[in-house]
Amino acid sequence: MSGTNRKFVFAYAFLVVLPLLGLAGILKSGRHLQAPASIDGLWSLQLDSGQLDSLPCGKVLAAIPNQEILISQSGNSFVLSFPGAPKITASGALDGTTLRASLNDMGASKESGCADGQPFTMLATVDRRADSRILAGKFSPTKCPTCASVDFQAERQAAASPKGGH
Amino acid sequence: MPNLFTLVLQITVILAVCRLTGSLFRRFHQPRVVGEMFAGILLGPSVLGWMAPQVSAYLFPASSLGFLNALSQVGVVIFMFLVGLGIDPKKLKHQSHAAVLVSHVSITAPFVLASLLALYLYPRLSDASVSFTNFALFMGAAMSVTAFPVLARILTERDMMKSTLGNIAIACAAVDDVTGWCILAYIVVLIRAAHQTTSIWVTLGGIVLFAAVMIYGVRFLLRGLERTFHKYGEISENRMAFLLLLALASALCTERLGIHLLFGSFLMGAIMPKEPKFVRYVLDRFETITITLLLPLFFAFTGLRTNIGLLSGPSMWFYCTLIILVATGGKLGGSTIAGWLSGMPLRDAAGLGTLMNTRGLMELVILNIGLDIKVISPALFSMMVLMALFTTFMTTPVLELICPDQALRPAPQKISVAEVSFQEIA
Repeated sequence: MSGTNRKFVFAYAFLVVLPLLGLAGILKSGRHLQAPASIDGLWSLQLDSGQLDSLPCGKVLAAIPNQEILISQSGNSFVLSFPGAPKITASGALDGTTLRASLNDMGASKESGCADGQPFTMLATVDRRADSRILAGKFSPTKCPTCASVDFQAERQAAASPKGGH
Repeated sequence: MPNLFTLVLQITVILAVCRLTGSLFRRFHQPRVVGEMFAGILLGPSVLGWMAPQVSAYLFPASSLGFLNALSQVGVVIFMFLVGLGIDPKKLKHQSHAAVLVSHVSITAPFVLASLLALYLYPRLSDASVSFTNFALFMGAAMSVTAFPVLARILTERDMMKSTLGNIAIACAAVDDVTGWCILAYIVVLIRAAHQTTSIWVTLGGIVLFAAVMIYGVRFLLRGLERTFHKYGEISENRMAFLLLLALASALCTERLGIHLLFGSFLMGAIMPKEPKFVRYVLDRFETITITLLLPLFFAFTGLRTNIGLLSGPSMWFYCTLIILVATGGKLGGSTIAGWLSGMPLRDAAGLGTLMNTRGLMELVILNIGLDIKVISPALFSMMVLMALFTTFMTTPVLELICPDQALRPAPQKISVAEVSFQEIA
């Protein structure tokens, strides 16, 4: 083997083969890592509309067509929107299995009594499974600590496209 | 049914903004593609949606985006065919030691560093439905890609195609692209197979059979096209339509096999005859409409999916900075070290590293696939788009700094196919 070839082989082993072995180690050690619970996707919302009507700003939620929530997740943070009511959005955080978000109704009007925005705070829990399907929690009026909360349950709809699953 | 008025209005606005920003960036010696990528961000929620939400909602209502996406994807399918057309597998077989080492290191270095970074990012930016292996492999593939077409354009603009540096860079970029796409195909197959009833072995068998038919059957047909071109100096419209049909059919086959549309069109381009005049002729027929009309739609659609607002708080910006540093360190640093160890002067090696760090449009294509199969989250997608923009943007000024024109040395090699390709892409 010539000197140039030997140098090439050493360089190749050091810069290509060795890092590839390291990659195998990284992939192996990463298997033990835990990512936040999965909440991304479209959820069908079930809540008591009668209860909502009695609350300040309740009309905002009661008026959502199809009662669907779309959650777009990025790690521990998420953006929540309602496909039937694009003006209502919320950003929130996931802490373990607990979701917290403040709903900001951009279309709120004085008639609905929600002109100040952030009419509701959402607090919910999700089961910690890769394919968790049930979200349960409550909506509480942000500006009315004495008002009762509205319980809700949401069921995740089947994903339309594949996820980077296990 | 699509709202035709909205769709035509969207196309008009996108084309106008892309041409304007592209021309503006050209004034700063940047490839046009960087300006067009930037235009996409301008039209998305990061700028237009943030500054004028009503205008954004009127121009790009959520219900209309499916049609825009479909059009842009057709553009990317044809574009990938053109990228494959620019790659000559025969030339890759006869690379020098330097090119072999640099091309392989420019894949492994960013790949391994990205996987290391994945250990840190996975618990922070992913979720339990994505496995760490898929996440890390995707990050590796996304960070090790080099924008072959943009690179070809930069080299042509700087008259570096005939230089040793240019030759090595273009060969390495081609190897990087082919390897990156193979890794991505593997990830997509793994992810999709988990959700399909068909066994992964059936899928893999199908892919091998399809590749064999393309390489040993369809390629033979295509040689007939090349012969016709040499005989008559042109190819009839019917034959060009047949070529387009083959590219689309190939794309459909790979999609049906569970990989992705783009792999089929890329493979179709790669097996085409590589005689430079024939390649130029085919490119001339497809380039204009793809590059001036359809690709800007893809940039805009990518921009509409990029929301810099998701990067809220210092920690998100820290992750983004980390991604840019790791991507640049792995690609630029790895290629520079490999080039230097192969006997290149340090300045040339650094120039080569800078060229290899160009990610551009190819990165956006890969990232969109990642977001579609949900292996990356919207926030990570936005960070990676910023990384693609940054690394592509930095190429020309850094190259100017490291390799001023007088430092370039011509090599006696023949002009590569890439020189006649992609004159307009960037």
